[in-house]
Amino acid sequence: MNSVELAFSQNGALANAIDGFSPRQAQTDMAIEVANSIKGKSSLIVEAGTGTGKTFAYLIPALIANKEAAENDEQQKKIIVSTGTKNLQEQLFHKDLPLIKKSLATKAQVALLKGRSNYLCIYRLDQYKESRGQLDAESLADFVKVREWANVTHSGDIGELVNVIENSPVFPFVTSTVDNCLAKDCPNIEDCYLVKARQNAIDADLVVVNHHLFFADMALKDTGFGELIPKADIMIFDEAHQIADIASEYFGEAFSTRQLLDLCTDVLQIYKTTLTDVKQLGKAAEKLLKTSQEFRLLFNYDPERGNWREKHHQQRFGQAFASLKVDLDFLYQVIKLCASRNEAIDHCFERAVTLLAQYDIMVDVDALGMSFWYETTPRHVVLHKTPLSVADKFSAYVEESGAGWIFTSATLAVDGKFEHFSQHLGLNKARHLLLESPFDYQEQSQLVVPRYLPEANDKNRSKVLAQIALPLIEASEGACFMLFTSYRVMHQVAELLSELIENPLLVQGQMGKRKLLEEFVEQKRAVLLATASFWEGVDVRGNSLTCVIIDKLPFASPDDPLLQARNEDTKRRGGEPFSQIQLPQAVIALKQGVGRLIRDVSDKGVLVICDNRLVNKPYGEVFLNSLPAMKRTRNIEQAADFLKSLNHKA
Amino acid sequence: MQTKVMFYVLPEIANTIEEQTHNEKTAEQEKHSLIHQACLQAAYFYRQNQKVFIYTQDQTQAHDIDEMLWAFEPDSFVAHNLLGEGPRGGSPVEISWQNPTIRRPVLINLTNTMPNFTNNFSTVVDFVPTNELLKQQARDRYRACKQWGFLVESQPAPVIN
Repeated sequence: MNSVELAFSQNGALANAIDGFSPRQAQTDMAIEVANSIKGKSSLIVEAGTGTGKTFAYLIPALIANKEAAENDEQQKKIIVSTGTKNLQEQLFHKDLPLIKKSLATKAQVALLKGRSNYLCIYRLDQYKESRGQLDAESLADFVKVREWANVTHSGDIGELVNVIENSPVFPFVTSTVDNCLAKDCPNIEDCYLVKARQNAIDADLVVVNHHLFFADMALKDTGFGELIPKADIMIFDEAHQIADIASEYFGEAFSTRQLLDLCTDVLQIYKTTLTDVKQLGKAAEKLLKTSQEFRLLFNYDPERGNWREKHHQQRFGQAFASLKVDLDFLYQVIKLCASRNEAIDHCFERAVTLLAQYDIMVDVDALGMSFWYETTPRHVVLHKTPLSVADKFSAYVEESGAGWIFTSATLAVDGKFEHFSQHLGLNKARHLLLESPFDYQEQSQLVVPRYLPEANDKNRSKVLAQIALPLIEASEGACFMLFTSYRVMHQVAELLSELIENPLLVQGQMGKRKLLEEFVEQKRAVLLATASFWEGVDVRGNSLTCVIIDKLPFASPDDPLLQARNEDTKRRGGEPFSQIQLPQAVIALKQGVGRLIRDVSDKGVLVICDNRLVNKPYGEVFLNSLPAMKRTRNIEQAADFLKSLNHKA
Repeated sequence: MQTKVMFYVLPEIANTIEEQTHNEKTAEQEKHSLIHQACLQAAYFYRQNQKVFIYTQDQTQAHDIDEMLWAFEPDSFVAHNLLGEGPRGGSPVEISWQNPTIRRPVLINLTNTMPNFTNNFSTVVDFVPTNELLKQQARDRYRACKQWGFLVESQPAPVIN
């Protein structure tokens, strides 16, 4: 028995340190494979079904390798663990790691590193104290809390500010972005929290990061960084199903009206505080501000994604985009006249230069091997240039690193195979491991596809969806999510339901996502209506969520420009876009959903998919082969009975 | 082309319980066994890439078939639709209690009489239950097929574990 097997055994380190720990074969199997991969500096892909205990299965062999190296006076074995979200980072760092460190009695230094926007920027805080811009009463109260906290914090991590809401308007003024950071020119660089956090991370044995941070570092998208990853000996990706998309994003380029707006806001602030004599500064910034807002108004009201190449060829978009350039140019000229008057304006000058360069990239829409696309938020437009594949770049990076790379998630395999995942990242040599969840899905869950659903574009569709939901909401006594592919249908169903049921209805857009979820858990009988993407990263445990109704299989919209470009590319290579790209992606999305419904041995629930393609089309087999073995029915009453039985037991 | 018909004879259901419940139970079991056999046949032809029309006695029976096919293990998946749902042109397997609207090669008949559209199919599957009345009806269907000049055969239904 080697040290890893020993740690997981009946009388091992984990059993000694953790009450109620019992060895599980799947977990031990994974840990052994991870250890092999670390030793052989090779790559490993593991799908570990929900409840396998994958976190321990990768942390323990990694920390054992680190500890053994330290004990033998070898060179430090540095570990990077990258996960999907800030919340997952914190959970790893504050919950799992202390427990494991204790049980292994290791002295390893561990560090938590978040993205730039999570750290207080002393310089910007001071600036803001002077100008005290356009804040309403509530934000002003937040600002006071920030100031008090700023005097006492050690880490500068704004996550410590529990009494200020996450998306408070005050945060952009007291944190920095790559654009507005003065970096080496900053007067506060000695005390900079971000610099300190990065230094800690560079020295630590184990660093917990997130995928965005990792790829920003890898693609050298944030200066003064890029030192972290080259030093790593062990790279672990949890929630690895997300990384292909995130990698593409960072290996591409983006240009957003938000960057313009931020620049304008900062210029206006300088104008109001220090350079009050330069009237043109205010005018130029306000002009650009207005043009970029008008640019947003050209797009549809509802947020959407589309093909930028096509849009740019349309006259009115082409023209509006050209006027952005004119106004940006003008602002650039005015700032140039103020050069060297102070550091802040010099920095704005650099940003204007960068933005002009990024602008030029987005005008050159005929570049090959790239997808040009846009996405809109309620107030902004982001233009993207994304490479169609990152496989070459990423695999070269992995090869050269000389590290052991571990990729794990509960959702990587499609139809029992890993091609979809490994091809995207060029990981053709990686070994695979597929571990099933220990849950009894037949007992714990049901998968329902209702009968006689009207076509997606049928005018009665919303009515039918509401009628399907009715008995289920009654049976589950709320505790129900309804997820839609379109805002229109979501609002129609919300309106119909409001007349049919007494349960409180929470609809996406009424309030922030976090607040919406809090309300959902608090109001016992609530029903939440949202768009499909809402579900990502949502963690509602136990009886608060027992029924999820999805209006369509989660295929990416055929209008999605990145998807279109990838499909074209696959066709050119003689592949089959549907089975190689769209289907696997939808399968993973649905698997994610199931994983969010059933999180625990005691969780029970019903997943209703109002899309009979799952039954009618031959590819239904691929979905069923990839999903956990839930009990299947097409009978809503049976599902309702199941839901009723849950409430009666509880 | 001559229509080929295969009658599968369902196995006797062994039972030692009292008369009254016996009958109800057997009827229930036989109903279930018929549905299961029909689904297995549909799965067989689906794997052969042959389009199947399952003609049921009524909508309730169609739902029973639908429910069982949907619950099949993923590696025995059968893409199917009920009358009134699904893609234009239907799924590889269609379940209906009304006359077929498009041509398919295989008919699985679950009704009491041989439908008059039977000769549109090249392959027909039918079943012989053990219940006396139902068995008699199956015999009549067998005879009708003979009279229509079909190639008729029979064999015991495969044993289901």
